[in-house]
Amino acid sequence: MSTYGDRGNVLTIWQRCRWRGIEVEVKEIDLKEKINPAEIDFYFFGGGQDQAQKIVSSDLQRYKKDDLRKAARLGAVFFAICGGYQLLGHYYRPALGDELTGLGLLDVVTVAGNQRMIGNIVVELNEKLKLNKENLLVGFENHSGRTYIGKRAAALGKVVVGYGNNGEDRTEGAYQGNVFGCYLHGPILPKNPNFTDFLIEKALFRRFGKIQLTKLDNDLEDKAHEVAIERARESR
Amino acid sequence: MKGVDARLFSAISAAKLLKLTIKALGGGGTAAPGLLAEYIDPSALRKLAKYYQGSVIVTGTNGKTTTSRLLGNILSVGKISFIHNRAGSNLLRGLVGTLIDNFTFTQKDKNLALLEVDEATLPAATSATNPKIIIFNNLFRDQLDRYGEVDKIRSIWQKAILHLDSSTALVLNSDDHSVAHLASSSRSRAIYFGIEDKNLSLGQLPHASDFTSCIACEGELRFDEVYLSHLGKYRCASCGLVRPKPDVAAEQIFLQEEKGFMAKIRTPKGLLELKVGLPGLYNVYNALAAVSAALALGIGLPVIKKGVEGSLAAFGRTEKISLEDNKNLFIALVKNPAGFNEILRTLFSKKEQKWVLIAINDLIADGRDVSWLWDVDFEVLAGKTKKLWISGIRAADMALRIKYSGINLDTAVEENIEAAIEKAIEKMPVGETLYVLPTYTVMLALKKILAAKGASEQFWED
Repeated sequence: MSTYGDRGNVLTIWQRCRWRGIEVEVKEIDLKEKINPAEIDFYFFGGGQDQAQKIVSSDLQRYKKDDLRKAARLGAVFFAICGGYQLLGHYYRPALGDELTGLGLLDVVTVAGNQRMIGNIVVELNEKLKLNKENLLVGFENHSGRTYIGKRAAALGKVVVGYGNNGEDRTEGAYQGNVFGCYLHGPILPKNPNFTDFLIEKALFRRFGKIQLTKLDNDLEDKAHEVAIERARESR
Repeated sequence: MKGVDARLFSAISAAKLLKLTIKALGGGGTAAPGLLAEYIDPSALRKLAKYYQGSVIVTGTNGKTTTSRLLGNILSVGKISFIHNRAGSNLLRGLVGTLIDNFTFTQKDKNLALLEVDEATLPAATSATNPKIIIFNNLFRDQLDRYGEVDKIRSIWQKAILHLDSSTALVLNSDDHSVAHLASSSRSRAIYFGIEDKNLSLGQLPHASDFTSCIACEGELRFDEVYLSHLGKYRCASCGLVRPKPDVAAEQIFLQEEKGFMAKIRTPKGLLELKVGLPGLYNVYNALAAVSAALALGIGLPVIKKGVEGSLAAFGRTEKISLEDNKNLFIALVKNPAGFNEILRTLFSKKEQKWVLIAINDLIADGRDVSWLWDVDFEVLAGKTKKLWISGIRAADMALRIKYSGINLDTAVEENIEAAIEKAIEKMPVGETLYVLPTYTVMLALKKILAAKGASEQFWED
């Protein structure tokens, strides 16, 4: 699935690797396609609308579930946004109709809400992730699903401005091992370069161990990050 | 004032008074008086509509303004008296304001109301105004922050037309899967328009395409031809749903870059050959929609031809403006990936390099979420710009998008729009054209800046 700028996330991982001389092969995974868990280091999972989400949910159950679970056990990094995030959890329960079964890679559940949570969002990253540099994430949320975190997953961060997972408990996103999910469009990765590099390092770890990435010029990224924080503070 | 009920009478009077006051203070627009009238009489639109000879509604993500202008021009040539919400004020308050503006307590003849209607306002406009025709142009990703998701818009449209009967004609884009099948649940007549020209096929669906699975069975759609975003000749491999055959079809199209296009259009009344001064394939669709609606109103081909060919672009919609020193501005509004991609395709299909300014705001009318910039294929700009200026509240996001496209352009960032436009014009040699691609509120700001310079005459008129 890919809605609203999700392509920007893939582009960002690809470019930030390429600029450092790390070769990346981007593979689009189609419906009905099987996955080879030994082959892929990083899974990106974008958002989708109701109809797309339904199709993808049943496809995941039918063709991909076991291999994706295996991939997670082998230490591959998963990063999912919005509809993709919901499907990494146990289920998505719509207001009407059948529950959509998720992959259960994240201990979260999502239920449909009646108010759409829309707007700029700023999140303070969970300190347990130990990103010591810039620890704020910026983006744009647009969801009606309310996500609740179970015991085995932790919040990706704390909402500074915005609604977050459910508009109630001030948490946003979730992670469990190397599996990450959140509601931030924007897209998230171009404007949050330190978080992007954190994900890249994690993805490289499985094959190459701990790697210190070379520094890149982040002036434009930081500027866009700052503007997004300003806009969030002004518009809420 | 015979027949006008008391509440409507106060609503109209208050709105007209407010309008005069605003005008006296040097302002314009129809939204505020309309809002006031709506407040005084919540059924103002329904009551006002009775003083008109039914409505022609134009809706869709892209092309509402241009399509209504084209149709308006045809009506003018055909000497059919009509009113039109030209100010682009297409929410309920704008519609009420427009109907009040054109209302006199002594009027005898009923005019036709040509209404450009916002996607989410369509149900209210449909139930209140007795539409003779509703044009559904297309449905793309646009301002998801306002409406949620495109699937939702489609379903409110579907519901809005359920109760219509055969006195209403639906003019539907047969190439857009998301609007082509709207008629199936309604008793209204359907007229389809579309493109039948293999030479213009893109070959594959571009990234920003929205509807790629079948609305009936959720199966995967196959495209024999793709003309623009998800618009094309589609069929569903699983349930057999196919694109309706267009009644009005553009068969031989010659796009002449920013100058416009020529097309041979097959209609039930015979062949129509058009030479239109509006550029890009999206304007071919707009013209087809206007032609189809005009045919449904019983207007003859010679009048249609004259009306379409005499149409000019609305402010900021691919409009060229002359400045001092023989310099020019070419302004093309950008508001969503499908529209932006088409503008890029129209302007940058040749080798020649251009001076370009892209300005992105994130106010409510622009869409507060700028994610959509990442669905635009800026990669086509490679080697095509002499200089790229980037401006607006979200200039940094736009600059970042260009950085990650991996193309190497000479760019300069200047957030302030007035400063950016000044510098860009100044740095450009005599005789050149600056191609400005603004989002909606930047376009409005631009209009003011240019009016102050005396370069743009029609200010409140548009």
